[in-house]
Amino acid sequence: MIRLGIVPATVCVLAFSGGVFAATGIPAADAVGLVDLTLEQLGNLEITSVSRQPERLGDAPAAIYVITNDDIRRAGVNTLPEALRLAPNLQVARLGSASYAISSRGFNNALGNKLLVLIDGRTVYTPLYSGVFWDQQDVMLEDVERIEVISGPGGTTWGTNAVNGVINVITRSASATQGALVSVGGGDPEVAGTFRYGGALGASGHYRVYGKQYQYNDTHSSKTLQGYDWQRGQGGFRIDWDAGADDFTVQGDFYEGKSEEFATGNRRVSGMNFLTRWDRVFDNGQNLRIQAYYDHTEREDPLLDFSDVMDIFDIEMQHGIPIGRHGLLWGAGYRLAKDDTDPGFLVSFIPEERNLHWLTAFIQAQISLSEEVELTAGTRFERNDYTGWEILPSVRLAWKPSESQLLWAAISRTVRAPSRIDRDFHLGILPAFPSLFIAGGPDFRSEVAVVNELGYRAQPNKDFSFSVTAFHHDYEYLRSGHVPIPFVQPAFVDNQMQGTVYGIEAWAAYQATPSWRLSAGLSWMKEDFSLDPGSDDPDGAQDLGNNPMQQWMLRSSWQVSDQCQFDVIVRHVGELPDPKVDSYTAVDARIAWTPRHDLEISLTAQNLFDPGHVEFAEVGAGGSVVPPTEIERSIFLKLLWHM
Amino acid sequence: MRKSIALFLFFALLSPVWAQGADDPGLTESRLKAVFLYKFTGFIDWPDTLKAQPSINIGVLGSEAVANELAQILPGRTVGSRPITVRSVDARDIGADLHILFIAKGESWRLTQLAQSLQARGVLITTESDGALNQGSVINFVIFERRVKFDISLESAEKSHIKLSSRLLDVANKVIGAP
Repeated sequence: MIRLGIVPATVCVLAFSGGVFAATGIPAADAVGLVDLTLEQLGNLEITSVSRQPERLGDAPAAIYVITNDDIRRAGVNTLPEALRLAPNLQVARLGSASYAISSRGFNNALGNKLLVLIDGRTVYTPLYSGVFWDQQDVMLEDVERIEVISGPGGTTWGTNAVNGVINVITRSASATQGALVSVGGGDPEVAGTFRYGGALGASGHYRVYGKQYQYNDTHSSKTLQGYDWQRGQGGFRIDWDAGADDFTVQGDFYEGKSEEFATGNRRVSGMNFLTRWDRVFDNGQNLRIQAYYDHTEREDPLLDFSDVMDIFDIEMQHGIPIGRHGLLWGAGYRLAKDDTDPGFLVSFIPEERNLHWLTAFIQAQISLSEEVELTAGTRFERNDYTGWEILPSVRLAWKPSESQLLWAAISRTVRAPSRIDRDFHLGILPAFPSLFIAGGPDFRSEVAVVNELGYRAQPNKDFSFSVTAFHHDYEYLRSGHVPIPFVQPAFVDNQMQGTVYGIEAWAAYQATPSWRLSAGLSWMKEDFSLDPGSDDPDGAQDLGNNPMQQWMLRSSWQVSDQCQFDVIVRHVGELPDPKVDSYTAVDARIAWTPRHDLEISLTAQNLFDPGHVEFAEVGAGGSVVPPTEIERSIFLKLLWHM
Repeated sequence: MRKSIALFLFFALLSPVWAQGADDPGLTESRLKAVFLYKFTGFIDWPDTLKAQPSINIGVLGSEAVANELAQILPGRTVGSRPITVRSVDARDIGADLHILFIAKGESWRLTQLAQSLQARGVLITTESDGALNQGSVINFVIFERRVKFDISLESAEKSHIKLSSRLLDVANKVIGAP
């Protein structure tokens, strides 16, 4: 165990002595040292200091928070879900070694189904329950360009499932990830290693290949349901060609993960995906994108006694047409999912195998009403096998009274279409009585939300910027259940809950000195759900999600010297109501040295002052609370080397 | 426990303020561009009038940051046997002895006015704004995914009677107007 009295003192000494390292190491980022590098080497250096250049005020009429590559590196995190904690408009709760409950604007639980998540244009939520298996989705964080986190429906270019938000993970193009990169690190409880190599392909192509191994050794907490040893390996490649007006990308990944659970046997996940994309810019300014991908996932869960193999094939196109000061964007797509489930003793999906098809089309117009006002109006049509056609219209207005301010408002209708767990899920005693307790949801229809948002974004001077959004979501046909009458009538899944969620999200960034940047984020919301008259759902709103009323965070990024960086994040999450989880405040800190311009050594501590806290509690079958896992203090020492 | 947190946060969050005197912002855009500007001097062949100058002179229009960085780098450095100087220039008084003029983003609107006279004298015009290459700039810096790269316009170089080393063209991000 770390003795805490020593830690603050040591960190401070190290922080102030950045200058000492400058004297002993090879001079690097000071101008005189740079002069000895070649032109090529100079062109590969990243501007690493906390930039004084202010971000251009974004023009998008939506609540978008961008997590940059620099933010991810300075947070010292090793997996995608941990990186998402940096977004103030997301609720991220860790359930254990590999499970997370991540959502935006409410409805958070491990089966969170109102968030659309994409990695490089590939949708990663599963049609099994419209949510994300966070133990299956990861990326090589060092090569992530940025993560756009949009809270709210975000517009017609995103589809069903984007009810409460969209997470768009964008990795760097291969031309920007050339050369070799090796990262190794160890600590308690994580051990991780990554390598990447990138090179050129012919005159205008570039490629990269990467591998990543991650291990979580949960030896301290008792072996709870979500607390176990977890390991996961992933590899992949990306190829980009830049042929003038045409850009081509081909990329793919494969992964395998498993847990070491002594009681129930190992949970296993594995998968692979392959994606191709073509972007073209025409002389008349029009642009076209065509993309196709294949995604294969396998999952074996011995505790739930259930396994699943899912194959997804998706093809879509988007065409942008600028018309004077206005613009038109339209697109269409088709997706096929082949699902093959293997029933367990209690859990089954009926039918075991199912092919699901989706057809989508959308059209959106951006109309410049005046120099300062722009209207974006559009609608999306989606057809799914369960409910047929759904219509998702959206209208957004953006007013830019000056270069440094934007006021926007939006009204959208959005939908969470049924997934297999809503319609085909059965709980019983197999093989004779598969539907004894739950007999699917034969008439389950889409959940519908009407969302109103108002936002203001400003950059009053070059050092300070902030954004505030107020939202109101009105939900109908939320998933609910029915009380079963044993041996007479099983429970079934229905849509007899409704409610509203409203609140405020805000964030700000302040460049206090040329080398010190402060940022803050806050979200406050209230949920109000009720059963439709006549509904006899036994659990009520509890099943919809467990969300804190408020959460906030403060981040300090300090470039101590040429070679030393120090970052601190203080984050607070309010109490979760049902099942009750205490509020917590966690402090994460990271200190990094770059003794040479191509080598970085960093030490990251999470939950620095807290031996452990619970972030989430879930309700198991029968309504009882599953004993939650404590998320413990962690420390990680990492070496990052660019060759 | 509370006391540890308070002490830690006090140091962690306030220390940048104390250390402000010895502040160094690290690898900034201005620093990197200044180094590039210095390096360019070794890859350019200027017309005879400028070759005759006793020193290589770099002028910076609109960026104190870049001028200061160059002032740190240049002392003691030479190209051939000539020393290199830097100065901030005023738009109305650019001076006839400049080999390189760096026009910062904020002053880029002046480019169309200045291009002809600068090209006539053989000055290497360098910029950091979109579209500058079409307005007479020879080398334009671009930021691509946190890295500083540069594009070259051979047409502008020809108009300025400047020859660029093929080594420089190889390293450039984009070369426009290749004959």
